Amino acid sequence: MSPLEISDLITAVDPDSGRRLPVRRADVTRRLLENGDRRAARIVADLPVDGDGVLDPDAVDALLIGVHTELQRLSEELRIGDRMLELLRPLFAAIRATGTHPGPYRLVDVGCGLGYVVRRLAATGALGPDVELVGVDLDGGLVGEAERLARDEELDCRFVRGNAFDLAEPATVYVSTGVLHHFSAPALADFFRAKAASPAAAFCHFDIAANGLAPIGAWVFHRARMRHPLGRHDGVASARRAHPDETLLRAATVPGMNPLIFEPRGRSNPFCTTLRPVIGVRPELEAPFRRELGRAARRLAGPGWESGGGPGSDRGSGNGSGWGIGRGRESGSGWGSGRGRESGGGSDGGLVVDGSGGAVGGEGAW
Amino acid sequence: MVSPAVPLLVLGLIDASFSGFRAYAGRDARIRKRRAVVRSAGRGLGVGAVLLLAPVLTACGILAVAGDSGRAYAVLAAGAVGYLLPIAVYAAVVALSFAGYFLLPFRVSTLAVVMGLGPLTLVRPLVLVAACAGAVLNGGGWAGLAVGVVAAAAVLTVEPVVHRRWYRFALSPGGRGVVR
Repeated sequence: MSPLEISDLITAVDPDSGRRLPVRRADVTRRLLENGDRRAARIVADLPVDGDGVLDPDAVDALLIGVHTELQRLSEELRIGDRMLELLRPLFAAIRATGTHPGPYRLVDVGCGLGYVVRRLAATGALGPDVELVGVDLDGGLVGEAERLARDEELDCRFVRGNAFDLAEPATVYVSTGVLHHFSAPALADFFRAKAASPAAAFCHFDIAANGLAPIGAWVFHRARMRHPLGRHDGVASARRAHPDETLLRAATVPGMNPLIFEPRGRSNPFCTTLRPVIGVRPELEAPFRRELGRAARRLAGPGWESGGGPGSDRGSGNGSGWGIGRGRESGSGWGSGRGRESGGGSDGGLVVDGSGGAVGGEGAW
Repeated sequence: MVSPAVPLLVLGLIDASFSGFRAYAGRDARIRKRRAVVRSAGRGLGVGAVLLLAPVLTACGILAVAGDSGRAYAVLAAGAVGYLLPIAVYAAVVALSFAGYFLLPFRVSTLAVVMGLGPLTLVRPLVLVAACAGAVLNGGGWAGLAVGVVAAAAVLTVEPVVHRRWYRFALSPGGRGVVR
Protein backbone atom coordinates (compact mmCIF):
# COMPACT_ATOMS: atom_id res chain seq x y z
CA MET A 1 0.00 0.00 0.00
CA SER A 2 1.32 3.42 -0.91
CA PRO A 3 1.83 5.60 2.17
CA LEU A 4 -0.58 8.45 2.71
CA GLU A 5 0.38 11.94 3.79
CA ILE A 6 -1.69 13.45 6.54
CA SER A 7 -1.49 16.93 5.05
CA ASP A 8 -3.18 15.66 1.91
CA LEU A 9 -6.13 14.42 3.91
CA ILE A 10 -6.88 17.12 6.46
CA THR A 11 -7.82 19.87 4.04
CA ALA A 12 -10.19 19.82 1.12
CA VAL A 13 -11.01 22.43 -1.48
CA ASP A 14 -13.66 22.41 -4.16
CA PRO A 15 -11.51 22.61 -7.29
CA ASP A 16 -14.15 24.50 -9.23
CA SER A 17 -15.13 27.15 -6.74
CA GLY A 18 -12.02 27.09 -4.57
CA ARG A 19 -14.34 26.87 -1.58
CA ARG A 20 -13.04 25.09 1.48
CA LEU A 21 -14.82 21.83 2.20
CA PRO A 22 -15.40 20.38 5.66
CA VAL A 23 -13.26 17.38 6.56
CA ARG A 24 -14.45 14.97 9.24
CA ARG A 25 -11.67 13.83 11.51
CA ALA A 26 -13.17 10.34 11.80
CA ASP A 27 -13.07 9.94 8.01
CA VAL A 28 -9.39 10.81 7.94
CA THR A 29 -8.42 8.52 10.80
CA ARG A 30 -10.43 5.68 9.28
CA ARG A 31 -8.67 6.17 5.96
CA LEU A 32 -5.29 6.10 7.65
CA LEU A 33 -6.14 3.02 9.70
CA GLU A 34 -7.37 1.23 6.59
CA ASN A 35 -3.97 2.03 5.11
CA GLY A 36 -2.30 0.47 8.14
CA ASP A 37 -0.88 3.71 9.49
CA ARG A 38 -1.79 3.87 13.19
CA ARG A 39 0.76 6.52 13.97
CA ALA A 40 -0.72 8.91 11.44
CA ALA A 41 -4.20 8.16 12.74
CA ARG A 42 -3.06 9.08 16.26
CA ILE A 43 -1.62 12.37 15.02
CA VAL A 44 -4.90 13.26 13.32
CA ALA A 45 -6.90 12.16 16.37
CA ASP A 46 -5.19 14.96 18.34
CA LEU A 47 -6.38 17.68 15.96
CA PRO A 48 -9.25 19.85 17.20
CA VAL A 49 -12.78 19.43 15.82
CA ASP A 50 -16.11 21.16 16.18
CA GLY A 51 -19.28 19.61 17.57
CA ASP A 52 -19.89 17.70 14.34
CA GLY A 53 -16.43 16.16 14.32
CA VAL A 54 -15.26 18.44 11.51
CA LEU A 55 -11.62 19.48 11.72
CA ASP A 56 -11.17 23.08 12.83
CA PRO A 57 -10.06 24.84 9.61
CA ASP A 58 -8.17 27.58 11.45
CA ALA A 59 -6.23 25.03 13.48
CA VAL A 60 -5.46 23.05 10.34
CA ASP A 61 -4.27 26.17 8.54
CA ALA A 62 -2.07 27.12 11.47
CA LEU A 63 -0.64 23.64 11.58
CA LEU A 64 0.11 23.56 7.87
CA ILE A 65 1.71 27.00 7.97
CA GLY A 66 3.86 25.86 10.86
CA VAL A 67 4.90 22.67 9.11
CA HIS A 68 5.62 24.56 5.87
CA THR A 69 7.74 27.03 7.79
CA GLU A 70 9.77 24.20 9.28
CA LEU A 71 9.99 22.65 5.86
CA GLN A 72 11.38 25.86 4.39
CA ARG A 73 14.31 25.44 6.71
CA LEU A 74 15.09 22.13 4.98
CA SER A 75 14.83 23.84 1.59
CA GLU A 76 17.26 26.48 2.77
CA GLU A 77 19.69 23.96 4.21
CA LEU A 78 19.59 21.80 1.09
CA ARG A 79 19.95 24.92 -1.09
CA ILE A 80 16.92 24.25 -3.21
CA GLY A 81 17.00 27.85 -4.39
CA ASP A 82 20.50 27.41 -5.81
CA ARG A 83 19.52 24.15 -7.47
CA MET A 84 16.53 25.82 -9.07
CA LEU A 85 18.61 28.76 -10.25
CA GLU A 86 21.24 26.50 -11.75
CA LEU A 87 18.61 25.49 -14.30
CA LEU A 88 16.35 28.52 -14.50
CA ARG A 89 19.10 30.96 -15.42
CA PRO A 90 20.17 29.02 -18.53
CA LEU A 91 16.55 28.22 -19.32
CA PHE A 92 15.52 31.85 -19.42
CA ALA A 93 18.73 32.72 -21.25
CA ALA A 94 17.79 30.16 -23.89
CA ILE A 95 14.25 31.51 -24.11
CA ARG A 96 15.53 35.04 -24.56
CA ALA A 97 18.09 33.91 -27.14
CA THR A 98 15.64 32.02 -29.34
CA GLY A 99 13.13 34.84 -29.38
CA THR A 100 10.23 32.45 -29.88
CA HIS A 101 8.66 33.67 -26.65
CA PRO A 102 8.88 37.46 -26.54
CA GLY A 103 9.18 38.97 -23.09
CA PRO A 104 8.24 39.94 -20.53
CA TYR A 105 8.21 36.46 -19.06
CA ARG A 106 6.31 34.82 -16.27
CA LEU A 107 7.48 32.08 -13.93
CA VAL A 108 4.67 30.25 -12.15
CA ASP A 109 5.36 28.07 -9.12
CA VAL A 110 2.68 25.39 -9.08
CA GLY A 111 1.59 24.33 -5.60
CA CYS A 112 3.85 26.98 -4.14
CA GLY A 113 2.89 26.55 -0.48
CA LEU A 114 4.55 29.43 1.38
CA GLY A 115 6.24 30.44 -1.85
CA TYR A 116 9.82 30.02 -0.71
CA VAL A 117 11.20 29.59 -4.22
CA VAL A 118 9.28 32.54 -5.63
CA ARG A 119 10.16 34.81 -2.71
CA ARG A 120 13.80 33.82 -2.84
CA LEU A 121 13.96 34.47 -6.56
CA ALA A 122 12.33 37.84 -5.93
CA ALA A 123 14.73 38.66 -3.10
CA THR A 124 17.79 37.87 -5.21
CA GLY A 125 16.47 39.23 -8.49
CA ALA A 126 18.46 36.45 -10.07
CA LEU A 127 16.21 35.93 -13.10
CA GLY A 128 16.13 39.54 -14.13
CA PRO A 129 13.50 42.28 -14.08
CA ASP A 130 11.71 40.94 -17.16
CA VAL A 131 10.53 37.80 -15.33
CA GLU A 132 7.34 38.11 -13.32
CA LEU A 133 7.24 35.75 -10.36
CA VAL A 134 3.93 34.16 -9.42
CA GLY A 135 3.10 31.47 -6.88
CA VAL A 136 -0.14 29.52 -7.16
CA ASP A 137 -1.73 27.21 -4.66
CA LEU A 138 -5.23 26.02 -3.92
CA ASP A 139 -4.72 26.38 -0.18
CA GLY A 140 -5.92 29.82 0.81
CA GLY A 141 -4.18 29.72 4.19
CA LEU A 142 -0.77 29.08 2.67
CA VAL A 143 -1.25 31.60 -0.12
CA GLY A 144 -2.30 34.24 2.41
CA GLU A 145 0.80 33.60 4.48
CA ALA A 146 3.03 33.64 1.38
CA GLU A 147 1.54 36.99 0.40
CA ARG A 148 2.04 38.36 3.92
CA LEU A 149 5.68 37.25 3.95
CA ALA A 150 6.30 38.81 0.55
CA ARG A 151 4.72 42.10 1.65
CA ASP A 152 6.70 42.02 4.89
CA GLU A 153 9.94 42.01 2.92
CA GLU A 154 8.66 44.16 0.06
CA LEU A 155 9.37 41.46 -2.50
CA ASP A 156 8.32 41.90 -6.08
CA CYS A 157 6.22 38.78 -6.55
CA ARG A 158 2.62 37.75 -6.10
CA PHE A 159 0.59 34.79 -4.99
CA VAL A 160 -2.71 33.53 -6.29
CA ARG A 161 -5.11 31.06 -4.76
CA GLY A 162 -6.38 28.75 -7.42
CA ASN A 163 -5.50 26.35 -10.17
CA ALA A 164 -2.22 27.13 -11.90
CA PHE A 165 -3.77 26.29 -15.26
CA ASP A 166 -6.67 28.67 -14.83
CA LEU A 167 -4.50 31.80 -14.61
CA ALA A 168 -5.64 34.62 -16.84
CA GLU A 169 -2.08 35.12 -18.08
CA PRO A 170 -0.16 32.01 -19.12
CA ALA A 171 3.23 31.07 -17.72
CA THR A 172 6.46 31.10 -19.69
CA VAL A 173 7.96 28.52 -17.35
CA TYR A 174 6.19 26.36 -14.78
CA VAL A 175 8.14 25.16 -11.78
CA SER A 176 7.36 23.24 -8.62
CA THR A 177 9.15 21.66 -5.70
CA GLY A 178 8.00 18.48 -4.04
CA VAL A 179 4.65 18.32 -5.78
CA LEU A 180 5.07 15.47 -8.25
CA HIS A 181 5.00 12.63 -5.74
CA HIS A 182 1.46 13.64 -4.83
CA PHE A 183 0.30 12.42 -8.23
CA SER A 184 -0.23 8.88 -9.40
CA ALA A 185 1.58 7.94 -12.59
CA PRO A 186 -1.53 8.47 -14.79
CA ALA A 187 -2.21 11.82 -13.13
CA LEU A 188 1.39 12.82 -13.74
CA ALA A 189 0.89 12.38 -17.47
CA ASP A 190 -2.21 14.61 -17.32
CA PHE A 191 -0.20 17.16 -15.38
CA PHE A 192 2.54 17.30 -18.01
CA ARG A 193 0.07 17.24 -20.90
CA ALA A 194 -1.59 20.33 -19.47
CA LYS A 195 1.78 22.08 -19.50
CA ALA A 196 2.41 21.06 -23.09
CA ALA A 197 -1.04 22.26 -24.10
CA SER A 198 -0.37 25.69 -22.62
CA PRO A 199 1.74 28.34 -24.35
CA ALA A 200 4.54 27.71 -21.83
CA ALA A 201 8.06 27.41 -23.17
CA ALA A 202 9.22 24.97 -20.53
CA PHE A 203 8.61 23.36 -17.17
CA CYS A 204 11.00 22.37 -14.42
CA HIS A 205 9.57 20.30 -11.59
CA PHE A 206 11.78 19.26 -8.71
CA ASP A 207 10.88 16.26 -6.63
CA ILE A 208 12.52 13.87 -4.22
CA ALA A 209 15.15 11.71 -5.87
CA ALA A 210 13.77 8.19 -5.55
CA ASN A 211 16.55 6.00 -4.28
CA GLY A 212 17.15 3.67 -1.38
CA LEU A 213 18.63 6.46 0.71
CA ALA A 214 15.66 8.80 0.41
CA PRO A 215 13.45 7.33 3.16
CA ILE A 216 16.40 7.03 5.55
CA GLY A 217 17.57 10.55 4.78
CA ALA A 218 14.02 11.83 5.15
CA TRP A 219 13.72 10.21 8.55
CA VAL A 220 17.02 11.67 9.75
CA PHE A 221 16.30 15.18 8.54
CA HIS A 222 12.70 15.41 9.54
CA ARG A 223 13.59 14.00 12.93
CA ALA A 224 16.48 16.44 13.34
CA ARG A 225 14.87 19.54 11.88
CA MET A 226 11.11 19.37 12.32
CA ARG A 227 9.18 19.52 15.54
CA HIS A 228 5.61 18.62 14.70
CA PRO A 229 4.93 14.89 14.32
CA LEU A 230 2.85 15.60 11.22
CA GLY A 231 5.87 17.04 9.45
CA ARG A 232 8.03 14.14 10.54
CA HIS A 233 5.48 11.60 9.40
CA ASP A 234 4.71 13.17 6.05
CA GLY A 235 8.36 13.82 5.26
CA VAL A 236 9.14 10.12 5.33
CA ALA A 237 5.91 9.27 3.52
CA SER A 238 6.89 11.71 0.76
CA ALA A 239 10.22 10.00 0.26
CA ARG A 240 8.55 6.59 0.10
CA ARG A 241 6.10 7.86 -2.52
CA ALA A 242 8.70 9.52 -4.73
CA HIS A 243 8.55 8.56 -8.39
CA PRO A 244 11.55 6.91 -10.01
CA ASP A 245 13.30 8.77 -12.81
CA GLU A 246 11.81 6.45 -15.42
CA THR A 247 8.24 7.13 -14.32
CA LEU A 248 8.78 10.87 -14.42
CA LEU A 249 10.41 10.81 -17.83
CA ARG A 250 7.71 8.57 -19.23
CA ALA A 251 4.97 10.84 -17.89
CA ALA A 252 6.74 13.92 -19.20
CA THR A 253 6.96 12.48 -22.68
CA VAL A 254 4.13 14.52 -24.14
CA PRO A 255 3.67 16.02 -27.59
CA GLY A 256 5.30 19.38 -28.04
CA MET A 257 7.82 19.09 -25.21
CA ASN A 258 11.19 17.39 -25.07
CA PRO A 259 11.45 15.61 -21.70
CA LEU A 260 14.68 15.66 -19.76
CA ILE A 261 15.75 14.69 -16.30
CA PHE A 262 18.60 16.38 -14.50
CA GLU A 263 20.91 14.31 -12.32
CA PRO A 264 19.10 11.01 -12.69
CA ARG A 265 20.16 7.89 -10.87
CA GLY A 266 23.56 6.86 -12.16
CA ARG A 267 24.58 10.38 -13.09
CA SER A 268 24.56 11.82 -9.61
CA ASN A 269 25.78 11.06 -6.15
CA PRO A 270 22.72 10.20 -4.04
CA PHE A 271 24.33 11.98 -1.09
CA CYS A 272 24.57 15.18 -3.15
CA THR A 273 21.24 15.03 -4.93
CA THR A 274 18.24 14.96 -2.64
CA LEU A 275 15.86 16.50 -5.13
CA ARG A 276 16.18 16.50 -8.90
CA PRO A 277 13.96 17.95 -11.60
CA VAL A 278 12.13 16.60 -14.57
CA ILE A 279 12.28 19.24 -17.28
CA GLY A 280 10.28 19.79 -20.42
CA VAL A 281 11.37 22.22 -23.11
CA ARG A 282 9.92 23.10 -26.49
CA PRO A 283 11.99 21.28 -29.14
CA GLU A 284 13.56 24.46 -30.47
CA LEU A 285 14.76 25.34 -26.96
CA GLU A 286 16.63 22.16 -26.13
CA ALA A 287 19.85 22.90 -28.00
CA PRO A 288 20.20 26.49 -26.69
CA PHE A 289 19.29 25.30 -23.21
CA ARG A 290 22.06 22.69 -23.30
CA ARG A 291 24.44 25.31 -24.61
CA GLU A 292 23.59 27.72 -21.82
CA LEU A 293 23.97 24.97 -19.24
CA GLY A 294 27.54 24.39 -20.36
CA ARG A 295 29.30 21.53 -18.63
CA ALA A 296 26.27 20.90 -16.43
CA ALA A 297 24.43 19.70 -19.53
CA ARG A 298 26.17 16.36 -19.11
CA ARG A 299 23.90 15.78 -16.14
CA LEU A 300 20.84 15.86 -18.39
CA ALA A 301 19.25 12.66 -19.60
CA GLY A 302 16.39 11.99 -21.94
CA PRO A 303 14.23 8.99 -22.78
CA GLY A 304 16.26 5.87 -23.35
CA TRP A 305 19.05 6.81 -20.99
CA GLU A 306 18.08 4.20 -18.43
CA SER A 307 18.25 1.38 -20.94
CA GLY A 308 21.84 2.25 -21.69
CA GLY A 309 21.09 3.94 -24.97
CA GLY A 310 23.77 5.85 -26.74
CA PRO A 311 24.08 9.58 -27.02
CA GLY A 312 21.12 9.73 -29.33
CA SER A 313 18.89 8.34 -26.63
CA ASP A 314 19.91 11.19 -24.45
CA ARG A 315 18.55 13.96 -26.61
CA GLY A 316 14.94 13.96 -25.65
CA SER A 317 13.62 12.51 -28.86
CA GLY A 318 10.31 12.04 -27.13
CA ASN A 319 9.56 8.71 -28.75
CA GLY A 320 8.94 7.05 -25.44
CA SER A 321 11.06 4.04 -26.24
CA GLY A 322 13.35 2.33 -23.85
CA TRP A 323 11.09 2.35 -20.82
CA GLY A 324 10.10 -0.56 -18.69
CA ILE A 325 12.00 0.08 -15.50
CA GLY A 326 9.46 2.24 -13.71
CA ARG A 327 7.83 0.46 -10.83
CA GLY A 328 4.44 2.07 -11.20
CA ARG A 329 2.25 3.43 -8.44
CA GLU A 330 -1.19 3.13 -7.11
CA SER A 331 -3.68 4.74 -9.36
CA GLY A 332 -6.11 5.24 -6.53
CA SER A 333 -9.73 6.09 -6.79
CA GLY A 334 -9.71 9.50 -5.24
CA TRP A 335 -9.32 10.51 -1.65
CA GLY A 336 -12.68 12.05 -1.26
CA SER A 337 -11.10 15.35 -0.54
CA GLY A 338 -12.27 16.90 -3.72
CA ARG A 339 -8.79 18.03 -4.57
CA GLY A 340 -8.04 15.56 -7.26
CA ARG A 341 -4.83 14.33 -5.77
CA GLU A 342 -3.30 10.95 -6.27
CA SER A 343 -6.28 9.88 -8.27
CA GLY A 344 -5.63 10.99 -11.77
CA GLY A 345 -8.08 13.73 -11.23
CA GLY A 346 -9.99 12.41 -8.26
CA SER A 347 -13.59 13.28 -7.79
CA ASP A 348 -13.47 16.31 -10.01
CA GLY A 349 -11.82 14.57 -12.88
CA GLY A 350 -9.78 17.65 -13.53
CA LEU A 351 -6.21 18.52 -12.90
CA VAL A 352 -5.75 20.29 -9.65
CA VAL A 353 -2.52 21.17 -8.04
CA ASP A 354 -2.37 22.15 -4.44
CA GLY A 355 0.79 22.54 -2.51
CA SER A 356 -0.66 22.15 0.92
CA GLY A 357 0.49 18.59 0.67
CA GLY A 358 3.67 20.33 -0.11
CA ALA A 359 3.73 21.00 3.59
CA VAL A 360 5.75 17.92 3.49
CA GLY A 361 6.08 17.38 -0.13
CA GLY A 362 6.35 20.92 -1.29
CA GLU A 363 9.22 23.29 -0.96
CA GLY A 364 11.94 20.78 -0.79
CA ALA A 365 10.77 17.87 1.24
CA TRP A 366 12.93 14.86 1.31
CA MET B 1 48.62 24.20 31.99
CA VAL B 2 45.09 25.16 31.05
CA SER B 3 42.41 23.40 33.04
CA PRO B 4 40.38 21.01 30.86
CA ALA B 5 37.34 22.83 32.20
CA VAL B 6 38.19 25.83 30.01
CA PRO B 7 37.86 24.14 26.60
CA LEU B 8 34.80 22.31 27.91
CA LEU B 9 33.17 25.59 28.85
CA VAL B 10 34.11 27.16 25.52
CA LEU B 11 32.66 24.20 23.61
CA GLY B 12 29.58 24.30 25.81
CA LEU B 13 28.98 27.96 25.03
CA ILE B 14 29.50 27.42 21.29
CA ASP B 15 27.05 24.54 21.44
CA ALA B 16 24.60 26.79 23.29
CA SER B 17 24.77 29.33 20.45
CA PHE B 18 23.94 26.63 17.94
CA SER B 19 21.15 25.43 20.20
CA GLY B 20 19.72 28.92 20.15
CA PHE B 21 19.81 28.89 16.37
CA ARG B 22 18.13 25.49 16.23
CA ALA B 23 15.41 26.71 18.58
CA TYR B 24 14.69 29.52 16.13
CA ALA B 25 15.20 27.67 12.85
CA GLY B 26 11.98 26.60 11.22
CA ARG B 27 9.95 29.35 12.88
CA ASP B 28 10.67 32.18 10.50
CA ALA B 29 9.81 31.88 6.82
CA ARG B 30 11.26 35.20 5.78
CA ILE B 31 14.05 35.19 3.22
CA ARG B 32 16.26 37.84 4.79
CA LYS B 33 16.78 36.96 8.42
CA ARG B 34 20.45 37.27 9.24
CA ARG B 35 19.75 39.56 12.16
CA ALA B 36 17.19 37.16 13.62
CA VAL B 37 19.66 34.30 13.25
CA VAL B 38 22.34 36.22 15.13
CA ARG B 39 19.82 37.18 17.80
CA SER B 40 18.79 33.55 18.28
CA ALA B 41 22.42 32.48 18.65
CA GLY B 42 22.89 35.22 21.25
CA ARG B 43 19.86 34.01 23.15
CA GLY B 44 21.27 30.50 23.12
CA LEU B 45 24.59 31.82 24.35
CA GLY B 46 22.94 33.72 27.18
CA VAL B 47 20.82 30.80 28.31
CA GLY B 48 23.79 28.47 27.96
CA ALA B 49 25.97 30.75 30.08
CA VAL B 50 23.42 30.57 32.86
CA LEU B 51 22.76 26.84 32.60
CA LEU B 52 26.44 25.96 32.44
CA LEU B 53 26.82 27.48 35.89
CA ALA B 54 25.18 24.26 37.10
CA PRO B 55 28.12 21.94 36.37
CA VAL B 56 30.54 24.63 37.54
CA LEU B 57 28.71 24.91 40.85
CA THR B 58 28.49 21.12 41.10
CA ALA B 59 32.25 20.84 40.69
CA CYS B 60 32.79 23.64 43.22
CA GLY B 61 30.48 21.87 45.68
CA ILE B 62 32.37 18.61 45.29
CA LEU B 63 35.65 20.37 45.90
CA ALA B 64 34.20 22.20 48.92
CA VAL B 65 33.02 19.06 50.69
CA ALA B 66 36.04 16.94 49.77
CA GLY B 67 38.42 16.16 52.61
CA ASP B 68 41.42 16.35 50.27
CA SER B 69 40.55 19.08 47.84
CA GLY B 70 43.80 18.63 45.92
CA ARG B 71 43.05 15.01 45.23
CA ALA B 72 39.40 15.81 44.43
CA TYR B 73 40.57 18.40 41.93
CA ALA B 74 42.90 15.89 40.28
CA VAL B 75 40.06 13.39 39.99
CA LEU B 76 37.76 16.00 38.48
CA ALA B 77 40.47 17.15 36.09
CA ALA B 78 41.02 13.57 34.94
CA GLY B 79 37.27 13.20 34.44
CA ALA B 80 37.16 16.44 32.49
CA VAL B 81 39.87 15.22 30.13
CA GLY B 82 37.94 11.98 29.55
CA TYR B 83 34.79 14.02 29.04
CA LEU B 84 36.51 16.34 26.60
CA LEU B 85 37.82 13.68 24.24
CA PRO B 86 34.53 12.50 22.60
CA ILE B 87 33.23 16.06 22.57
CA ALA B 88 36.38 17.36 20.89
CA VAL B 89 36.10 14.68 18.20
CA TYR B 90 32.45 15.57 17.69
CA ALA B 91 33.25 19.28 17.53
CA ALA B 92 35.97 18.64 14.96
CA VAL B 93 33.54 16.70 12.73
CA VAL B 94 30.95 19.46 13.09
CA ALA B 95 33.54 22.10 12.21
CA LEU B 96 34.59 20.08 9.18
CA SER B 97 30.96 19.73 8.07
CA PHE B 98 30.40 23.45 8.45
CA ALA B 99 33.52 24.23 6.47
CA GLY B 100 32.31 21.90 3.74
CA TYR B 101 28.84 23.39 3.80
CA PHE B 102 29.95 27.00 3.52
CA LEU B 103 33.04 26.64 1.37
CA LEU B 104 32.23 23.94 -1.15
CA PRO B 105 29.97 24.32 -4.21
CA PHE B 106 26.30 23.84 -3.33
CA ARG B 107 26.03 20.37 -4.79
CA VAL B 108 28.93 19.04 -2.73
CA SER B 109 27.79 21.04 0.26
CA THR B 110 24.66 18.89 0.29
CA LEU B 111 26.97 16.04 1.14
CA ALA B 112 28.11 17.95 4.22
CA VAL B 113 24.48 18.29 5.26
CA VAL B 114 23.39 14.76 4.45
CA MET B 115 26.43 13.03 5.93
CA GLY B 116 27.31 15.63 8.55
CA LEU B 117 25.08 18.32 9.94
CA GLY B 118 21.77 16.42 9.92
CA PRO B 119 22.93 13.21 11.59
CA LEU B 120 25.27 15.13 13.90
CA THR B 121 22.29 16.97 15.39
CA LEU B 122 20.62 13.67 16.17
CA VAL B 123 23.65 12.09 17.83
CA ARG B 124 24.32 14.92 20.28
CA PRO B 125 22.80 13.05 23.25
CA LEU B 126 24.85 9.97 22.38
CA VAL B 127 28.02 12.05 22.28
CA LEU B 128 27.24 13.32 25.77
CA VAL B 129 26.67 9.78 26.98
CA ALA B 130 30.05 8.88 25.51
CA ALA B 131 31.55 11.91 27.24
CA CYS B 132 30.17 10.78 30.60
CA ALA B 133 31.60 7.32 30.00
CA GLY B 134 34.90 8.94 29.07
CA ALA B 135 34.91 10.87 32.34
CA VAL B 136 34.51 7.69 34.36
CA LEU B 137 36.95 5.64 32.30
CA ASN B 138 39.63 8.32 32.56
CA GLY B 139 39.57 8.23 36.33
CA GLY B 140 36.94 10.84 37.06
CA GLY B 141 34.97 8.44 39.23
CA TRP B 142 31.52 9.25 40.57
CA ALA B 143 32.45 12.89 41.06
CA GLY B 144 33.43 13.27 37.42
CA LEU B 145 30.31 11.43 36.34
CA ALA B 146 28.10 13.69 38.47
CA VAL B 147 29.57 16.86 36.99
CA GLY B 148 29.40 15.34 33.49
CA VAL B 149 25.73 14.40 33.83
CA VAL B 150 24.82 17.86 35.10
CA ALA B 151 26.79 19.45 32.24
CA ALA B 152 25.08 17.19 29.69
CA ALA B 153 21.66 18.06 31.09
CA ALA B 154 22.51 21.76 30.96
CA VAL B 155 23.69 21.57 27.35
CA LEU B 156 20.64 19.61 26.22
CA THR B 157 18.29 22.00 28.02
CA VAL B 158 19.39 25.14 26.16
CA GLU B 159 17.44 24.49 22.96
CA PRO B 160 14.07 23.70 24.57
CA VAL B 161 14.43 26.65 26.95
CA VAL B 162 15.17 29.11 24.14
CA HIS B 163 12.40 27.62 22.03
CA ARG B 164 9.83 27.88 24.80
CA ARG B 165 10.89 31.34 25.85
CA TRP B 166 11.11 33.04 22.45
CA TYR B 167 9.90 30.85 19.61
CA ARG B 168 7.00 28.78 20.80
CA PHE B 169 4.22 30.86 19.35
CA ALA B 170 1.21 29.73 17.40
CA LEU B 171 1.45 30.24 13.67
CA SER B 172 -2.17 30.81 12.92
CA PRO B 173 -3.84 32.69 10.10
CA GLY B 174 -5.56 34.91 12.62
CA GLY B 175 -2.66 35.57 14.93
CA ARG B 176 0.70 34.77 13.44
CA GLY B 177 3.75 35.00 15.55
CA VAL B 178 6.35 37.40 14.33
CA VAL B 179 9.93 36.41 14.97
CA ARG B 180 12.12 39.14 16.40
